[in-house]
Amino acid sequence: MNRKKRFLVGALILAGAVAYLMYTGVRQTAVYYLTIEEFLPKREALANEGVRVAGRVQLGSVTKQMTSSGEELNFRIGDFKGDGAPSDSVPVHFVGVAPDMFKAAGGSDVIIEGKYREGTLYAQNVLTSCPSKYEAEVAAKQ
Amino acid sequence: MVEVGALALAVAWVLALYAIGMSLAGVYWRKRDFVASAEHAALAVWGLTVIAVAALLHALATHDFNLEYVAHYSSSTLPLQYTIAALWGGQAGSLLFWTLILTSMTSVVLLQNRYKNRELMPYVTAVLMLIALFFLSMLNYVTPPFERLAFTPAEGQDLNPLLQNYWMTIHPPALYTGFVSCAIPFAFAMAALASGKLDDVWIRTTRRWTLMAWFFLSLGNLFGAEWAYLVLGWGGYWAWDPVENAAFMPWLTCTAFLHSVMIQEKKNMLKVWNMVLVILTFTLTIFGTFLTRSGVISSVHSFTQSGLGPYFVGFLGLMLALSLGMLVWRLPMLKSENELDSMLSRESAFMLNNLVLVGITFAVFWGTIFPVISEAVRGIKITVGPPFFNKVNAPLGLLLLFLTGVGPVIAWRRASAKNLRRSFLVPTALGLVGGLILFIAGVRHYYAVVSFSLCIFVMATIVAEFYRGIRARQAMMGENPLTALAHLIGKNRRRYGGYIVHIGMVMMFLAITGTSAFKEEKQITVKPGESFQMGGYTLRYDGVTPSETPHVAYLRANIAVLEGGRQIDTLRPEKRFYKKPQQPTTEVAIRSTLGADLYLVLGSYDDPTKMATIQAYVNPLVSFLWWGGIVLAIGTGVTVWPTRVRAAAPAYAPSPREGAVTE
Repeated sequence: MNRKKRFLVGALILAGAVAYLMYTGVRQTAVYYLTIEEFLPKREALANEGVRVAGRVQLGSVTKQMTSSGEELNFRIGDFKGDGAPSDSVPVHFVGVAPDMFKAAGGSDVIIEGKYREGTLYAQNVLTSCPSKYEAEVAAKQ
Repeated sequence: MVEVGALALAVAWVLALYAIGMSLAGVYWRKRDFVASAEHAALAVWGLTVIAVAALLHALATHDFNLEYVAHYSSSTLPLQYTIAALWGGQAGSLLFWTLILTSMTSVVLLQNRYKNRELMPYVTAVLMLIALFFLSMLNYVTPPFERLAFTPAEGQDLNPLLQNYWMTIHPPALYTGFVSCAIPFAFAMAALASGKLDDVWIRTTRRWTLMAWFFLSLGNLFGAEWAYLVLGWGGYWAWDPVENAAFMPWLTCTAFLHSVMIQEKKNMLKVWNMVLVILTFTLTIFGTFLTRSGVISSVHSFTQSGLGPYFVGFLGLMLALSLGMLVWRLPMLKSENELDSMLSRESAFMLNNLVLVGITFAVFWGTIFPVISEAVRGIKITVGPPFFNKVNAPLGLLLLFLTGVGPVIAWRRASAKNLRRSFLVPTALGLVGGLILFIAGVRHYYAVVSFSLCIFVMATIVAEFYRGIRARQAMMGENPLTALAHLIGKNRRRYGGYIVHIGMVMMFLAITGTSAFKEEKQITVKPGESFQMGGYTLRYDGVTPSETPHVAYLRANIAVLEGGRQIDTLRPEKRFYKKPQQPTTEVAIRSTLGADLYLVLGSYDDPTKMATIQAYVNPLVSFLWWGGIVLAIGTGVTVWPTRVRAAAPAYAPSPREGAVTE
């Protein structure tokens, strides 16, 4: 019985260690995940915090320039209806390589990973969610 | 053919239901012919599924674009191997393919156990057919593969270009086989609970199935990693994406199960724990399918957002409630027959290994569903990314690596000081010396130093085991070292196969450590003729070459790889443009050596200026991941290879136990 207890204590220590690692892990790496509609009203409160924002690139808003460290992209993301006025959208700045599914004309559904400050969302990463989008388009055609 | 396929699925649904009813009725009223009828029905379900799969393959091969599935996932110019792969490229097809594997395995189990385990088999049939019934219900009522369109498109939409890759053609079958194989030990465990035959017969009967499940889960994960590495073009192979986690979690619990059943076989301990692990493993495979199919958690490469989610949650809940309910009901009969003797023993090393594996599973599970939980609790979605998983799992993984060295060689029951000295003195010394050398050489990445010295420690324990075994055979049998090695492995396949698997795991740890600690990456925009440095190489961009086939248009960058002023290679990363779905993709170019991979991506290309953005990565030791996978496969092969042909009782003669059901 004594050994069993000792084993239980060992197991509890391990469980505690896992819990501690998970707690600090969440504290240090948590990122808010928001849709553009959720993000817009809260954006000032979330300034300089890590965010992931899902939205649609507005048609005709993309400008592109080659720089020594990749493409410099400036565009606006808005809600998924796509026709939003500038007040319903936020400018995004990104230097790097846009994903394959990112359309230069706009209209791609994207997730922007980065930080918001002084009116602009500075993206570290631009993700497109391609296959599901692809399926949705097919479904819409029928 | 299409109508035949749809009809086959409908009849299969009825027969699966019939098989469940008849096998349970057969047990209840002790009717042997009921049970036999149920088993025949289960075999028929398999046959009907084969017909349905054949019908869908026929439609794909003949480009019957009137069929919605064919129009969605293939085109007339799609190469044949991908036309076949389109069978599991879409949702309905992948569920059908899943059902095919499940019913095929059910048939093998039924045939294997015609004259064996008769008390268990009716329940096994019922459980497996219940799972089949769920998938058949999806196929008949929710996402039918044989749906026709109102019109016939001239051309199909084509298979998603990201899936048009060799590794993507073999990754889903391997993973599904792994997932589905987990259902067999689960079904036997449930049968043991239901029948009250709770000795280790269910474990011995399903040992090979569990190993097979583990083998295919390992391969499935590795093939997926290889695919991500070659196709997704971000320089890595694992991103802790929910879809990856979904496949990784059952692997973890299956690994734990493989180890803990050894304790039950040897010591009659951990009976409840083994039940819990097998239930967890099975439900995690269903949870994994749910994650990839429901879209409840956003994943960068999630496949579909479909209405399947609620059905899977319902099925998951039903299976969990049934299995845990039965476990609680039988709890009094699952008493451990032995106690743990000492903390320094193989038993406790194995238990610790189990706790670590389950701990990792829990952390991965938590990280994966965190957005859902935070939204429910705090009303805001919070995600945790790869840093969370790396931070939590790195120390746990290292502890696991340490136990990989300890577990197989520490003595059962209670390790004496002599046993510890004999087994661990030299490996520990070698590990410490290795770590010290790395530190003196200037490596300051502490996780990496610890990981490499643990790799040395584990390898040393394994090599020492082989060495001692060979020496003993040489002394006793007078064999030469090579014969001794062959006989050593041949006579103890399970043990030495396990060691070989561990060598494969050590190789993978080397790769994971190398790529996570010492990866280099660079992104640069260059003009034709311009050069840049990367990982000891000079890379010169020599412009692009376009080319075209009816299916795809290519844009290849020519990049000369120079070492010491001399050109040693040309790498050609591509941009592809698939014409049917109008979708561009990236094709990486890799120069692979044992030490490191040079990995190049053509990020973007600007036609007017001829400038290209190149993403370059150096991934140290990454090739050990794939070699480790091969070693792991060989080791598993050695372990499951039949030791000897069963001498007693010819297989065709009914054994006296056959009538057990009616007793």
